[in-house]
Amino acid sequence: MRHIGAIAGRELRSYFVSPVAYAVLTMWAVVVGFFFVALVGFFLEAQRSGDPRALTELNFHVYVVEPMVQTLWIILMMLVPGLTMGLFTSEKANGTHELLLTSPISISDYVIGKFLAAAAMVTLLMALLAAYIGFLFAFGAPPPEGPQTAAALGALWLVALSNAAIGCLTSALTRSPLIAYLSAVVVVFLLFLLSVVAPAASLGGSVALAWAGDFVRWLSSNPHFMDLSSGLVETKALAYFAFMIVVPLVIAKTAVESVRWR
Amino acid sequence: MIEARGIVKRYGDVAAVDDVSFSIAAGEVVGFLGPNGAGKTTTMRILTGFLPATDGTALIDGHDIFHEAIAARRAIGYLPETPPLYPEMDVAGYLTFVAKLKDVPRSKRKAAVERAMERCGLADVRRRVIGALSKGYRQRVGIAQAIVHEPKVLILDEPTVGLDPIQIREIRQLLVSLASAQEGGHTIVLSTHILAEVEAICRRVILIHRGKKVLDAPLEEITANGGRLEDAFTRATLREEPALAPEPQPEVAA
Repeated sequence: MRHIGAIAGRELRSYFVSPVAYAVLTMWAVVVGFFFVALVGFFLEAQRSGDPRALTELNFHVYVVEPMVQTLWIILMMLVPGLTMGLFTSEKANGTHELLLTSPISISDYVIGKFLAAAAMVTLLMALLAAYIGFLFAFGAPPPEGPQTAAALGALWLVALSNAAIGCLTSALTRSPLIAYLSAVVVVFLLFLLSVVAPAASLGGSVALAWAGDFVRWLSSNPHFMDLSSGLVETKALAYFAFMIVVPLVIAKTAVESVRWR
Repeated sequence: MIEARGIVKRYGDVAAVDDVSFSIAAGEVVGFLGPNGAGKTTTMRILTGFLPATDGTALIDGHDIFHEAIAARRAIGYLPETPPLYPEMDVAGYLTFVAKLKDVPRSKRKAAVERAMERCGLADVRRRVIGALSKGYRQRVGIAQAIVHEPKVLILDEPTVGLDPIQIREIRQLLVSLASAQEGGHTIVLSTHILAEVEAICRRVILIHRGKKVLDAPLEEITANGGRLEDAFTRATLREEPALAPEPQPEVAA
């Protein structure tokens, strides 16, 4: 446990001496700003039109926070693997992988340190987003509901952390940052899309298939994310994201360890 | 200080290291010799705990490298074939990071880094980014990284490869001083295929050929009566029929 801080700290510093952190943060700020302005625009438009349907459900959560978080979710599927692709591949390229594995540190420290560095970057992205949302609280009339907004931001944070854990894993599996990036994007998108194919299983009618369908649906990030981001906080969804963070990291640890028994 | 017991490393049918045993006492400086692909790097990687052995084990400072891995690794300073450097870090920052990894206590860390830089002649470049340093300096940073935690055992894989003659001389002087008693009397294992290097630094030679130990003798004994290390090397490596087929390259790039 003692070395997690050293590894995470070094990684975080290296994010900021390379252009990676700045590129990602800039891109994020632009994208978030764009959607924020566009969605607030829609909201004001609806308010002015006096559409009765719009008036009954006219609130910032439905008009701004939720669609924004859902859009950014897709963007993070492509952005987070960019943050994680170099975590282990660059160590292998520098030969520092050999330094770390011959140091008196545990492999868990190595993997967790790497993940925490990526998690810190993800958290920074969320902080930027929260700053935009803060405007709604400062100037919105009426402002969005606090707990609901927190749930939506929390959902995005959790799904991004699970993307980071998956990115850690693919980075640990290969020497090529490009392959690490692409395979992480593929896995993350598959998890997103799984819930679409799930209903097909229940068409078969058998109990086993229905069970499989339920499982596939559970495995998908989609329903859990949707529940959370609408403000429905359930342990089931929280457990899902904890699972999707821990399991990739455990496999990543095994992958790093595998040089020892290959 | 180092006790290798019947180390075997097989990749499929190819034995990269085949039953190598030796025992190195504290303060000895041993040249680990052999042609390219002989199994030097693989043996060193096993001793440092980077690779597992198919069979056999080793004790470093009394600690089994597999069962007491953390304690054994703490006793080792290791310079791999390519110095393990982060190009974006500065020299002092990098060495501080390595000192943390190697469990140098916080109160001693700064002094340890200063001392390693001073011994390796890096004081002038302490704030320079490693990626901008010349190859000679990078090699020195690699050695500084290996000695920063004052390990009892130094394992250096071709520490002078690719350096110019002046840099080579400097590194050799550094190694000689590291082995001297007033500098802590490190036990040093140094792999190379440059025989002059062994003659300049080492007091004992272990020769590996095709994964097998073929010679293990004090340098004095080899060079007694006007004998030459080169002749001993040639004799030992040609004892078996010369290889016509290309040598298998069992040393995987990890």
